[in-house]
Amino acid sequence: MSDSGGEAASRTAGEDATGGRALPPPIERHGDVLRRLGVVRYTDDIKLPGMLHAKILRCPHPHARIRSIDPSRALALEGVYAVVTGKDMPRRFGIIPWTPDEYPLALEIARFVGDGVAAVAAVDELTATLALKLIAVDYEVLPHVTDPFEALRRPEIGLGKSGRDNISKHVALDFGDVEGALAKSDVVSEGHYYFEGSAHVPIEMHCAIGDYDREGLLTVYSATQVPHYLHRELSRVLEISPARIRVIQPPVGGAFGGKSEPFDLEFCVAKLSQVTGRPVKLLYTREEEFYAHRGRHPMHLHFKVGCMKDGTLTAVDAKTLIDGGAYSSFGLVTTYYSGQLLTLPVFPPAYRFDSTRVFTNKPPCGPKRGHGSVQPRFAFEVALDKLAVEVGVDPIELRRKNAIGGNTTSLNGLRVTSNGFLECLDAVERASTWRERRGKLPFGRGLGVAGSSYISGTNYAIYPNEMPQSAVQLKVDRSGRVTIFSGQSEIGQGCDQLLRVIVADELGLDYSAVRVVSGDTDLTPVDLGAYSSRGAFMNGNAALMAAREVKQKLREAVAGKLGCELRDVVVTRGALCHRDEPGRCVDVTTAIQLAEARFGTLGAVGHYNTPKVGGDYRGGTIGASPAYSFTAHVAEVDVDLATGEARIVKIWVAHDCGKAICPVIVRGQMEGSAYMGAAEAVLEEHVIRPDGLHVGPSLLDYRIPTSLDVPDLEALIVESHDPEGPLGAKETGEGPLHPSIPAIANAIYDAVGIRLDRLPFTPARVLQALREKRRREGDDNGAALANTAALANTAALANTGPVAKTAAAE
Amino acid sequence: MTSADTDGKVRLPVARRAALVPLSVTINGDRRQLAVPPNRTLLELLRYDLDLFGTKQGCDKGDCGACTVRLDGAPILSCLTLALECEGKCVLTVEGLPGGAELHPLLDSFDRTGAAQCGFCTPGFLMTSWALLDETPRPTRDEIRQAIAGNLCRCTGYKAIVDAIELAAKMLRGEEPRLIGLPGSANLPPPIGTLPTGATAKDKDKRTAPGAGSSASQSASQLANQSANQPEEPKP
Amino acid sequence: MLPLPVFQHHSPTTLADAVALMAELGDGARLIAGGTDLLPNMKHGLVEPEHLVSLAGVRELRTIVLTDEHLELGAMARLADIAAHPEVVRHAAALAEATAAVGGPHHRRMGTLGGNVCLDTRCVYFNQTYFWRQALGFCLKKDGTACHVVASGKNCVAAASNDSGPALMVLDAELELAGVGGVRRVLASEFYTPDGITNTVRRADEIVTKARIPLKSGRKSAFEKLRRRGAIDYPLLNAAARVDRDRAGVIANVEVVVSALAARPKRIKAQGALAREVSIEALVEGYANAAFKQCRPLTNLDNDTEWRRDMVKVVVARALGRAAAADPE
Repeated sequence: MSDSGGEAASRTAGEDATGGRALPPPIERHGDVLRRLGVVRYTDDIKLPGMLHAKILRCPHPHARIRSIDPSRALALEGVYAVVTGKDMPRRFGIIPWTPDEYPLALEIARFVGDGVAAVAAVDELTATLALKLIAVDYEVLPHVTDPFEALRRPEIGLGKSGRDNISKHVALDFGDVEGALAKSDVVSEGHYYFEGSAHVPIEMHCAIGDYDREGLLTVYSATQVPHYLHRELSRVLEISPARIRVIQPPVGGAFGGKSEPFDLEFCVAKLSQVTGRPVKLLYTREEEFYAHRGRHPMHLHFKVGCMKDGTLTAVDAKTLIDGGAYSSFGLVTTYYSGQLLTLPVFPPAYRFDSTRVFTNKPPCGPKRGHGSVQPRFAFEVALDKLAVEVGVDPIELRRKNAIGGNTTSLNGLRVTSNGFLECLDAVERASTWRERRGKLPFGRGLGVAGSSYISGTNYAIYPNEMPQSAVQLKVDRSGRVTIFSGQSEIGQGCDQLLRVIVADELGLDYSAVRVVSGDTDLTPVDLGAYSSRGAFMNGNAALMAAREVKQKLREAVAGKLGCELRDVVVTRGALCHRDEPGRCVDVTTAIQLAEARFGTLGAVGHYNTPKVGGDYRGGTIGASPAYSFTAHVAEVDVDLATGEARIVKIWVAHDCGKAICPVIVRGQMEGSAYMGAAEAVLEEHVIRPDGLHVGPSLLDYRIPTSLDVPDLEALIVESHDPEGPLGAKETGEGPLHPSIPAIANAIYDAVGIRLDRLPFTPARVLQALREKRRREGDDNGAALANTAALANTAALANTGPVAKTAAAE
Repeated sequence: MTSADTDGKVRLPVARRAALVPLSVTINGDRRQLAVPPNRTLLELLRYDLDLFGTKQGCDKGDCGACTVRLDGAPILSCLTLALECEGKCVLTVEGLPGGAELHPLLDSFDRTGAAQCGFCTPGFLMTSWALLDETPRPTRDEIRQAIAGNLCRCTGYKAIVDAIELAAKMLRGEEPRLIGLPGSANLPPPIGTLPTGATAKDKDKRTAPGAGSSASQSASQLANQSANQPEEPKP
Repeated sequence: MLPLPVFQHHSPTTLADAVALMAELGDGARLIAGGTDLLPNMKHGLVEPEHLVSLAGVRELRTIVLTDEHLELGAMARLADIAAHPEVVRHAAALAEATAAVGGPHHRRMGTLGGNVCLDTRCVYFNQTYFWRQALGFCLKKDGTACHVVASGKNCVAAASNDSGPALMVLDAELELAGVGGVRRVLASEFYTPDGITNTVRRADEIVTKARIPLKSGRKSAFEKLRRRGAIDYPLLNAAARVDRDRAGVIANVEVVVSALAARPKRIKAQGALAREVSIEALVEGYANAAFKQCRPLTNLDNDTEWRRDMVKVVVARALGRAAAADPE
């Protein structure tokens, strides 16, 4: 704990009026894994009686007008029940209410290779697949664009809303005198950075089931992160009252942002079920997963960052071109995030950014873990490293010097409460033995540092409304069992277990006595979804509110039983006791029964709404969060000088999560984030060819790391005890991804002295940069490769003697 | 939209279907007499015909390992195995991993270390590591990493998985206690109509893979029974 | 799901039955061994057989036998078993290393030597779904007429992508093929052809039954593979090297093969690399440079062709370096 705000943040959230109750010891196991091991039913594991299977016909052109669709041959195939096209659902949808620009199936224009044009329901997947080949579509192929700069140059392609340009969103914001500050700077680092896009690649593919029953109630099961938004959009597009729609979100097999808006399949199964009167399931193929995409946006980032000789930062001037792909998705927010989320935890007093998102004829980009902010974070943290080298200040010191601290407001109006960033820097510096090793390792090996910050949810709901952002209901059973009804979406991040621990802790129960029912719009109150790292903070606070109401009733009932004052009753593990007479206790189950007898059936609701935070300017609420997490990484790399492969040896990940309520889950999020970032640094790139085709929409060609390709990971939890977080907790799911990439970039510089400002750092690019460096430095061997002994990398070679005269093999 | 009518329309011939072929296969200890089309994969057989949904589909072409099951003990990809190639063989799926009072140490350890997050790839990892621990009771971390290199996980970064497999190996060797702090172990209701221990052990043998260590499983069941018999005590 | 097309399945239990079936069923029949290559290709509509003849039940093809003169590996021996077999490690290190580098651990448990030897060639324009290939306009290996790797190319340049092939070639292995006409033996080095559509001399009704690797004292071999991940990936490049030393420990013979270039693995000719007194460093460098000159990776496997060409030197140097460095037993 330091002077950075953590200290000031007293642990009010973990205590209550009765005072003095300690949190239970950390749960040294996950706690909710057993339920998942082969028992949990994911969407594709649900089988309804009479269920049909659907497939979507996709456009093979990057941009085309649909002249006509003839499904008659497909319908004549035995086992085919129905075909729907865009004309059957002619209403636009979109996750952001201001930019609805997608149809469930393309109405007139298909905008990328893989855009859906028709859907067929059949008795099984094989028949549905065969039927797709029998649907005749007459296309007029239109000019297309796949490069964002070309999209700026060729407005006539008309992918924008007006049809006269390809612009999706433009945001320019100014804070302070950037020109003046840069002019006065001792050093300015100017660089162009390119972040190739990447995909989420959850192992579970998108899947949905529509079931329009005989009473006219539509149930849609979907592997989604946002059942509530799906509920709204289904209603709008299908023109069915939301009161007649139920969305069930079974546990999701990984999402990472890739399932956080409605997709074509959900509308198609609903419509096909309505038409056929039977349940209809649609499971994407792995290939379709890459077309649905919504992955990380490719960004061209032009950054100027200035600083003084002593390392004091002066200004940032950022200009960013964002390649949005075919549709808006969350693009409006992405465009803001590309600038707004950069100003913590290390930043100068002058800043401006100018971000433009353009449409291209490619699978649409969207939010991937660290939405919109991972790319500028890469550029900025690398720029900081360049400046540190230039002015001769240790990169960790430079960050310390410019850290914003706690209980303050950032340049762009982000309210900061708890801030454990300096502790994070300390932790990775110590654990990596940075001081002893950085800059002193043999050529080829290096260390790099980077930091970041991320939101714990945003105070701005996606559609403007005054209602709670998160809510739970508690049902308390006289058996001693508690059920939490939560609208949050369990996608593997552990939100169900977090709720169990929070409620169990409040009521003195073993968490196994608490069960969670989540993600069902009929059964659970509204929560906006599993995105923006909002779950722990918002849903946790909602659960805490409900649990405290129940606890109050238990304490009152026990006070009556023990004949003491309410304030004397405290909750301990398993019982409610008199605080001064530890022998006078009532076990929790009995307390529940006493309370039920006294107050009637026990239950409670809890909800959460953020305080009104954010800057007082247009867009000032985007990026405003009730609390921010902080992260620092040190990465160690080992560059193979012959192949160019940059092997990441280890990443030390320090993360300020406020309070680690479930440490195993927190560590899991930290390791999972860091690894995912590392993969984007050296391996993954989501590339669309100039002709609009995906280079390889499969897990063989889009390579995500195996167990042999990941660095050693060391998670260092830092707790700053946020004053408003549930029990002091903040987000952990996305923040720890951000520093991976720049830390690795900076480590490569430390290892071999090259700056790769273009991602990913493939062996080919590393080798190329190494050569250019040698050439620049006038190395005699410049263009040539290192000598053969180095190539062979075999120590044994040096010891072998000459070979006698022999005949050649050939 | 257009629906297919059954009346008055000339239909194209049925999508050509091959005749069903009889198949005899043992799945999780149960001998099954089935009839399948030759183009049925083992994955489809398990999920579609037998409702054994524990085995997952992640790519359906052998790139991800989510569909891993054990065929005569070996971890294989069920999406690239024709059901008919399993004639006369033994298939083990995640449903065959001992649960309940005899909870397999892998299930225990995956929860301890958080080796599953979304859980979708996990059945595949369990099958691969179950086979590994049967064949290699004392694997090094590198051997573990090599063994699971065909199973893709997108959540964990693999560290917790390697930790879990290492921990399970220790549990199986009796070097590490089992069922520590297992959720609910303190709250399990007293067993109703408890079977004599002998019957439990026999049940277990039926479900355990050839070569699986049985002495360790025994100790697991004892431990579980002990904790199951402890009544929950309100802490004074 | 990627549904498999409809076919009939046959499970012969003897080689003779399998050979007879293949002859009887004719062109519409395909052999299936481990299935890890064939089934994905069928799911992509790249192969559409009417009959699959499974070799899984033909027990006689599974053996690994060491005789006085040969190491004989049955075509149905699993790759994982070959990689771990002590006699293979001892006498045919390149093959042990190559089989250990195939795909991922599951592929090696399922895949067989015969299947890997006969692995279909691969290309980024070919190993894709039907939808993708249709959007591209297909290619000359399947359903189309144009080559997308070599503009206006008339010959398919899909790449040999197996790892066992180069190893067997440098080990002077002989492949045994059984057909209705009897058994014939083909040197591994003569087994592959430059045609990417069908890159082996195996006739459609023939079955590769075994590989025979001659034992030779003073022989040492090694294998290297270039790929982006530690597992699952097909090679972006691979190289096998073998070095024979005479009784005096002098290098008498060197063989280097590089593959994952085009349809046929390439034997590297390095005239002169052994023709004078050279150090091992010079020998290795000679071969690495010769390989660099003779190998030109294409865009059939990925776009980093310049890097892959540079890597030809590296994989050759690393394989040959190891084969030449250690003293033979």
